[in-house]
Amino acid sequence: MNGGWYVYGVADGDREIDEPKGGVRLVREGRVAAIVGPVDLCEFDQLDERLNDLAWLEQKARAHEAVLDELVGEGAVVPLRFGAIYRRPDEVVALLRDRGEEFEADLDRVRGRIELGVKGFVDRTALENTLARERVATAAGGGSGRAYLERRRVQREIADEASAILAEAARTAHERLLELSVAGTVSRPHSRELSGRPEEMFLNVAYLVQAKDESLREEVAALGRAYAPLALTFEVTGPWPPYSFVGSASREHAAQ
Amino acid sequence: MSERAYPARAGGGPAPAQLADVLERVLDKGIVIAGDIEIRLLDIELLTVRLRLLVASADKAKEMGIDWWEGDPFLSRGNGDKALEERLRRLEAKAGLEPAKDGGE
Repeated sequence: MNGGWYVYGVADGDREIDEPKGGVRLVREGRVAAIVGPVDLCEFDQLDERLNDLAWLEQKARAHEAVLDELVGEGAVVPLRFGAIYRRPDEVVALLRDRGEEFEADLDRVRGRIELGVKGFVDRTALENTLARERVATAAGGGSGRAYLERRRVQREIADEASAILAEAARTAHERLLELSVAGTVSRPHSRELSGRPEEMFLNVAYLVQAKDESLREEVAALGRAYAPLALTFEVTGPWPPYSFVGSASREHAAQ
Repeated sequence: MSERAYPARAGGGPAPAQLADVLERVLDKGIVIAGDIEIRLLDIELLTVRLRLLVASADKAKEMGIDWWEGDPFLSRGNGDKALEERLRRLEAKAGLEPAKDGGE
């Protein structure tokens, strides 16, 4: 075995792990501690091929997430991303020394807080049908070729209107949810293939909120009720380790 | 497991988190693998993952002192033992360990 140390995240220096699994342990240095586990580096060779292997990637990513999930409920954790692997424990110590202040600041920022994901979906056909029905109520119908062209024009207008409604709904939702959170970040919506849903995702955001604060979830439910007539739905995921609010990402947010 | 401070995952009920959500978070920005990696998940135009993997690849790794592939014949492309030794020496010095003097003990 060609051994290495995989760093999952960073916790407070006085943190204990109650029931360590998979050899996970803490490497302490100063006021912070790295959450590390032994890995076989051979599992990570030919990485460019493996990263294209979805089964491999899923297994590794879920294992990473599982370790952090176990720990994040019981104290502050700064999650690192996939693949922070060091050959020797003293290299982990060096990481903690080099970036100790940064990790401490991140720990303070996320302490008592969690990340929630919010996604917005639209059944675009249903939305456009709704918009079309509103028009039919006000416009007279017609026959012949001119009427066909007119219908095409109206279809385009309806599609544009639907897009405008989605942009506005995304903006409104993000504004309202941001007011209930410490910080928020906007990501690109997933394609249908990735989301695995028939609806189109129009909103993909994450928020840092107080751990026991349910107000964001309640607001998402309220948004869902408000936008239901337009065939929009919202979904909350998490709690997640606060991936989106540590490291360089958090400095970007702080600067906003 | 003892009681958790947080409610169970919402949205999916007891179902595991969606892979896309996990990948988006676990891979995003942080990644650290030797350069020139292109990920094609299911040949889908891959959210932000590929982009961020690339952005974060080698430079980010160096910044974090991650270089485990260097000096490994299976993993590296031309980094010899000398570079690794020098790296270790620098880290040991940084960590306050007895630095090996040039020319041996």
